[in-house]
Parts: sequence; structure tokens; C-alpha cells
Amino acid sequence: MYRVHLDQFEGPLDLLLFFIRRDELDIHDIPIARIADEYLDAVRTLQELDLDAAADFIYTAALLIQIKARMLLPRLAVDDDGEPVDPRAELVERLLDYIRLKEGAAQLTTAAEARRHVFVRGMAGEERALAPEAPDAPLRVSLFDLISALGTVLRRSAPVEPVTHAVERESYALDEQRAWLLAALEQKGQSFAALLRGRTKPFVIVTFLAALDLAQRQLVRIIHGVTPHDFALERAVPAPEPATA
Amino acid sequence: MDAPAPLPPFEQAVEALLFASDVPLRAEDLAAVLAEVWGEEVEEAAFDAAVEALNQRYAAGGHAFRIRRLGGGWRHATLDTLAPVLRTLFTDDRDRRLSTSLLESLAVVAYRQPVTKPEIDHVRGVNSDYALRGLLERGLIDIDGRSDSVGRPLLYATTPAFLDLFGLGSLDDLPKLREIEEILTDPSFHRERSRLLSELAAAAAPAGDPDARTPDA
Repeated sequence: MYRVHLDQFEGPLDLLLFFIRRDELDIHDIPIARIADEYLDAVRTLQELDLDAAADFIYTAALLIQIKARMLLPRLAVDDDGEPVDPRAELVERLLDYIRLKEGAAQLTTAAEARRHVFVRGMAGEERALAPEAPDAPLRVSLFDLISALGTVLRRSAPVEPVTHAVERESYALDEQRAWLLAALEQKGQSFAALLRGRTKPFVIVTFLAALDLAQRQLVRIIHGVTPHDFALERAVPAPEPATA
Repeated sequence: MDAPAPLPPFEQAVEALLFASDVPLRAEDLAAVLAEVWGEEVEEAAFDAAVEALNQRYAAGGHAFRIRRLGGGWRHATLDTLAPVLRTLFTDDRDRRLSTSLLESLAVVAYRQPVTKPEIDHVRGVNSDYALRGLLERGLIDIDGRSDSVGRPLLYATTPAFLDLFGLGSLDDLPKLREIEEILTDPSFHRERSRLLSELAAAAAPAGDPDARTPDA
């Protein structure tokens, strides 16, 4: 149930700001010891949920603990006027910077919202023309989209034959599958899922690799957005000079 | 009712150029065209006056558009009051909204440009790789040389597409950042998250937990 709420915090500084706002703390006089402990608790929870996101939080937690430790020690560093430097100063500076920036981002959102109500010449035509055949943007496809499509097909693929405990040679080769794929796309573009319905896992996987390979050689185009878990393939006119030697 | 006087040729030319162009035109673009056609230099300030005069006509005539500074130059743009009518022409504008992480990174670039990735990461406290890639792909930022600092990291700056997305004529039109004291003393600074807190406390802490704070409740 914590997951939903951690989503509210975009990053490690947001989590810190959350504590400050929640307890209505004076940002120039943060009770570091308490906040550091609380922060660490939150990061532990986060770590259990999402290790990737936790890395940035762990860094900030470490920073807080370091400041907490420095607060306990005699202050050795002095500023230009010979005054002892508050170990929190740099963090506070960053937080203030971040607060201003977030406000800038919010103002930009307002500006974008206003802009959305204004239309310029030529826009309508572009939109209308683009809408039916939008997918001319191969970069929109992330690797994760493709992997997700592969996963969908694999789950649907024909069950592997009963285990025979014999090691057989991989029965599909990449260049065979490249040829197979090009032939299959000869007439018209097809969706990846439709193309491989009922095929076995080795067949699907090698064909997937063949599709990536052909896309890289610009012999097929990958068109994303058919459904979230599928993509389409079609023959592409090869570039005048193939990049591969 | 008197018919309005015909436009002077100069204003007519400005209007025609802005009307026919699909991209924003800057005063220097207009000046270059007119210099070529008429063989005489036009002061750039004259274009401000012409645009102003045209806009006054549009307003007086009750027209649906004005000339606005958008994306680094002037364009004809419809009045925002007509948005409900025009929106029906646009099948899809999902792409125009940015996620928080993209927006934050974009704001750092916008206000600090030219800026390096380490600087952006530092302000946000997170790795901005993914966000920067998204912004580059959308054409909202671009690489603007390299910094002289150690490792010569790439510098990022906003593009005209950024200005257009936010309805800005130039970077001078960026919303001014308020002074930090002003933000901190703004009552909404604390109130905004108090609401969040009560939700968090309600969900995260079982009823009766002494640690659950609900300042607004």
C-alpha cells in the first residue's frame, strides 16, 4: 500500500521536501538527526519495492547521515568571515534551488496549458495527415516495447514437445529466419503476433532476433503502436548504401 | 458603417508573409525578404509597429486570430476562446504533455542553459539520462557545444520547438522564477503537501498510530 504513495515523490529531494512541508519545518533549520532517520526508513521501504529507483534515494540518505554526523563534531570548516560553516548549508542551498526550479516547471505547465488553446496555421493539416499513418517514427519503439511483444508471443507459442532429455542442435539459424521473414513480408506488412502464431519458442526467438537484425540493416521497418504488446513489420526499401560491410 | 481604410503596402506585405508561412518568422527574416524584393533595408522596429497595427485591425474587426510571438518568431494564431471549436480538428495531442521528470529536466535546461547533464542531475538529485533522451527525441532540447569543464561534457539548450510548446516568443518570455523567500512564505507551500500527508497517514499508518500526523485534519 506504500507503493502508491511513494509514486508521489518524483525524486530523493522531493521526499526530503515532503518531510519539511509535512512538519512545517524551517528549511534553514532542518532537524537533521530526526529527518535523516525518517528518510532512511522511507528508503528501506522503497528499496523493497523498487531497487532501481532506490539508488538515487540511497545517495541522498547517505548525504543526510553524513551531515548528521558532522553536526555532532566540532565545526572545523569556516567561511570567508571566519564563521563556522553549518554542515547543512549546502543541502539547504540545493533544496532552495530545487524548490525554485519546481516552481519554474509548474509555471511552464501553466504556459503550455495556455498554449494548447491557441492554434497556428498548418497545424490542422499536419494532424489530419499524420493521424492515419502515424508510425513513421522507429525511434518511438523502446527495447522494452519490443521485448514486451516478444513476451506476449512466447506465452502464446505452441507448447514445447515433451522433455526427452536429449540435447539437440538449435534448429533455427538467424540467416534462415531472416530469409523466412523477408519472404513472409513480401506481399504485405504483418503484425509480429500474427506472423508467429502457433510457432514454437525457438522459432519465435530466432525470428525476433532476425527482425531486429533486418531492422538495423533497414530492410524491414518496425512499426510500433498496433497494440501495446505487439508491433508490425514491413519490408523497407534499403538505404542506397548499406552500412554493414 | 465605414469600410476600414486599405492597409498600407508595408503592412500588407508583412501580413502576407506571416499568413503564408508555416513557420514562425522573425523580424530579421521579414527584413531579409523585403530587402531582397524592394531593395531597401527596413528597420526591425518597423515590423513591431506593423504587427501591432495589424493586430489592432484584427481586434477592431472581431477576427478570430492575432499575430503572436511563438517559437521564436511571429505567427498567426487563433484566439484561445475558440479552442473548443478548433480542438475538434485535432485527433490526438497526447504527445504534447510531458511527464514530471521530463518537465523538471526541461525546466532546468530552460532556466540554466546552456547546462551539462551533471548539473541537471545535481539540481534534481536523480540521474536525468532517460529524461534528457526523451527531450532530445521530442526536439525540445538540443546539444549546444561542450563545456570547458573537466571531461568536456555536452551542453544542452532549448530549441524553438520548446518555445512554441510553451507559447513563448523568446527565452526572455520564460516565466520569472519567484524569489525563494516569496515561495517559502507562500501559505500554499506547506498546505499543498499537508493534503498529501493526510492521505499518506491514512493509508500507511493503521488507525490509532500515534505517528500519523494530520495537521489539516
